[in-house]
Formats: sequence, structure tokens, C-alpha cells
Amino acid sequence: MTLTTDGVSLGYGDETVLDDVSIGVDSGEVLTVVGPSGTGKTTLLRLLSMFRRPNAGTVAWHGTDVWRLSDEERLAVRRQISMVFQEPSLFNAPVARNVLYGRRVRHSWRERVRRRVRNAVGDHSMTEAAHTALETVGLLDKRDRNALSLSGGEAQRVAFARALAVDPEIMLLDEPSSNLDPRNTAVLEEAILRAKARGVGVVVATHDMNQAERISDRIAFVYDGRVVESGPPERIFDDPRDQRTKRFVAGDLLYEVDDENALPTSASESPS
Amino acid sequence: MFFQLQLQLPDGGWTYVVSIILISLEVSLTAVGLSTLFSLPIALFVGFTDFPGKHIVTAVINTGMGFPSVVVGLLVLMLLSNSGPLGTFDRAFTPQAMIASQFVLATPVIMSVSLSAVESVEQSVRDAAFAMGGTDLDVGIVVIKEARYGIVTAVLAGFGRAISEVGSILIVGGNIVFSDGQSYTRTLTTAITVEARQGRYEVGLVLGTILLVLVLGVNWLGSWIRSKGRGERSA
Ligand SMILES: Nc1ncnc2c1ncn2[C@@H]1O[C@H](COP(=O)(O)OP(=O)(O)O)[C@@H](O)[C@H]1O
Ligand SMILES: [Mg+2]
Repeated sequence: MTLTTDGVSLGYGDETVLDDVSIGVDSGEVLTVVGPSGTGKTTLLRLLSMFRRPNAGTVAWHGTDVWRLSDEERLAVRRQISMVFQEPSLFNAPVARNVLYGRRVRHSWRERVRRRVRNAVGDHSMTEAAHTALETVGLLDKRDRNALSLSGGEAQRVAFARALAVDPEIMLLDEPSSNLDPRNTAVLEEAILRAKARGVGVVVATHDMNQAERISDRIAFVYDGRVVESGPPERIFDDPRDQRTKRFVAGDLLYEVDDENALPTSASESPS
Repeated sequence: MFFQLQLQLPDGGWTYVVSIILISLEVSLTAVGLSTLFSLPIALFVGFTDFPGKHIVTAVINTGMGFPSVVVGLLVLMLLSNSGPLGTFDRAFTPQAMIASQFVLATPVIMSVSLSAVESVEQSVRDAAFAMGGTDLDVGIVVIKEARYGIVTAVLAGFGRAISEVGSILIVGGNIVFSDGQSYTRTLTTAITVEARQGRYEVGLVLGTILLVLVLGVNWLGSWIRSKGRGERSA
């Protein structure tokens, strides 16, 4: 496995959000983390991209605990992983500069200054990777537009291109199509599958079961900060073992609730 | 009639006026430049780090804007005067003393306006810089770039406060002209006080007009930059 968590817990203040979560993703596969809103999917992705250190358990890169590495080594690992956020996160700059950002920070300062000067005197050439990434999401013609002037769907696709342009080993996508219409969603799912075909390992967090069914090699169902069950999509859809997975697949468990009894459970629904 | 006023320039003629403008600009620009270098890292730190007493620091920065300039002048002069802690440097009644007091006056303005500019940068934008492989420094640079219009506004506001301020530089600079009529520590504002007191209203008006043009120009530049910032988002 390329990127794994082993028994990780993480919370905000006193509140525990992730509890003893063990998952892993390999190169060239799509792992979908599904579950109702508020169960900790975003928190899990932020843990995988090393925003935060787990309170317990380990996050490992090819078997090495990333939090035992030096800052420099961990930066090198971080640069093999890229992420697309649920909220708009593009920079107030032309689309091309957004897509090039990850490349830029990987250059030496001297090289960055040199490129900045060349850019200022009118050399707007893009690297191969940035070009390909924009092409993949079908937005090559928007390369000179300011990123903040794009529609929601275009912006989400540019954010994907920005994450793809660094040639990552692993991509983390947080609700990648939550604000997209069906056409944009199709473009994005197509791009995900193309990245996977190139050997990228993709983790997608989503509450959209249909999307999970379309793109996943494996699904991890998360509820209340725990992985309730995981497996290939057919198994999860056709033969969910856990009651909560069953209800989520059936579409009657969309939000997490603090009080389990507040929701009709399968037991109380059918008189026994 | 206003138009028939004889413009009676004091000794030194127009070079007197020019030397006053140059001193004013030199002092204000230096103070604002130094204050910007000082304020930006602090604004970034205060904006994005949680530490005990953060509320207090923010409150001090924001209330510092209303600090009376004569009090700042008095304190700076006490520091620099012969008997003061920095007396050995012999800097009282020099342009450097005026730079020091304008630095103190401009800093809360620049810091609080750039703090709010920096704080308005979305968390998700900072996160993106980090997640795309940026270091903490890269994230800081992204924040400054995203907040660029607000930061320029902050610097211009600081300049506006510095250039039109009179109380503190009168105290620490002493409003001195050389015997050949060239300004040493006389600025547009302090010159106006002298011209007014001596009844040379025409000269005062000339100086006042120059000051007004400078201040209005800076304000105009500020709103032009802000509208440019808004325009970019919908370009
Ligand atoms: N920055 C934060 N501070 C405090 N609590 C948070 C924060 N972010 C998320 N949470 C809480 O953590 C839980 C999981 O959130 P999240 O990981 O965003 O879930 P999901 O992505 O599955 O909707 C929620 O109860 C949420 O309120
Ligand atoms: Mg989420």
C-alpha cells in the first residue's frame, strides 16, 4: 500500500472525530470514502495530506511513519500527494498560474525568480504537465482567464488540474462534484479514471453513493469517525453487512445524528 | 481678491518650498516603508496563529490607530533627548527623529488594515498552497499575494496618516530651517503652521494645496486599486 493509516484517532479540541481508523490506498486504484455529512471524511483526508498529526495511530507512506520523518523528508512525501478541496480554493491569478503553482513551489528560489521575470516579459509557456492537466479537464482555452471569474464547475475542474499537474502518486479529492452539474461531474469522473489509468492512487470522499458506484475499486463506509465496513463496490451495494451501511445505501441516512435513537432504526421500523 | 494675492515667498524662494516637499516625502516614505516591513510579518503571524492574548494584541493594534500624535511625539522626544535612554545617539530634532515618530503613528494603521486584509484570505486558499506542496513560507507568500490590494490600501492609509500629521513631528523635529532657507526638519504640515502664524497665508495656501493634492492623490490611487481588485474577480 502506498499511503495508509493505522488505528488513527483525531479530534478538534475535546471532541473525537476519527476513532481508530485504518485504511490504505495503492497506486492505480480509486478508494472511495463514503458516509453521511459530518462523519469525518474531510478530517480523514486532511490527516492523509498531513495538515494535522494524529492523536493516536500512524500515517505511513510506503510503510514509513511520516511523523517520524524530518520536516524536509515529510515535505518530500507531501509533494507526492495532492489534494482538491470541497470549497473554492483557487488563487486570484490566471488559470495557468494556478495550475502551475505546485510545480512552482518545487523549484529553487533562483529558478522561481527567473521564471517570474520571464513571465513578466511575456513568456507564458506552460510546462507539459500543466498543459496536459488543463487539457484533461477540457479548459485549455481558459488558461489566461482569472481563476476567480470561472463558474463553479470550471473552478472545480481547474482545482483538479492543479492537483494533477504535479504528477502526484496519490490524489485526495474532497466531494469533488458536490457543486457540479451532471455534465461537469462526468468530465471530472472521466479525469479521475484517466489519472487512475496513469497509475495515480485516488482517494475520493463523497456522500454520493451513485458516484461511488461509478468510480470505485474499493469503498470504505465511514460513520461517526469509524470505518464501519469496506470492500469492493459490488459487495457493499449488494450485500451490506452493517445496518448503517444498509440504510445509507438505501438513502435514508444522509446526516449523522448525535442521538442514534432519533432516527428510525431498522428494528423499530418493522414490528418484531 | 484671492487671485490678486501677492505670493511673497520667504528666504530661499521656490527652493524653500521644494526642500519642504522633499523632506516631507523622505520622512513619510521612509517611515511607511520601514513600518510595512515591520507590520506585514506581524499581521501574518497574528492573523494565522492562535496564541494566548491574541484578542488583546488585536485590540491594541486596532486602538493604536486613534493614538494622539502629540503624545507619540512627546514619548519619542523623551526617548531621544539628551537625558533619555537613546540620548547618546543625539537624534532629537533630526529627520530621523521624525521618521521614528511617524513610524510609530503609521504602524497601527498599516498593521490593522493589513491584518484584516490577511484575515480575509480564505482558509481553503491557504490550505491549497500547503496541499500543493508549499512550505510555511510559500503559504505566507500566497496570503500576501491574495491580500495584495488590501495591503496596498494599508500602506497608502499609513502614508496618508504620516504625510498629514503635524503634532508629533513638530515636537520631535523642531520645524528647523537652515540659514539659507532650506528645510532641515520642516515639513508641509509644520511649514503651514509657521506660515499661518506669520500671516503669510498665500504661502500657506500653496503648501496646503500641495499637501491636499498629495493626500487626495493617494486616496484616489487607493480606491482605483481597490476597484481594480474587484474587477479582476469578474474579468
Ligand atoms: N475545524 C473544525 N473545528 C471543530 N470541529 C470540526 C472542524 N472541522 C470539522 N469539525 C467537526 O468534525 C466532524 C467531522 O467533520 P468532517 O470531517 O468535515 O466531516 P465530513 O467531511 O464527513 O462531512 C463534524 O462533527 C464537524 O463538525
Ligand atoms: Mg466534508
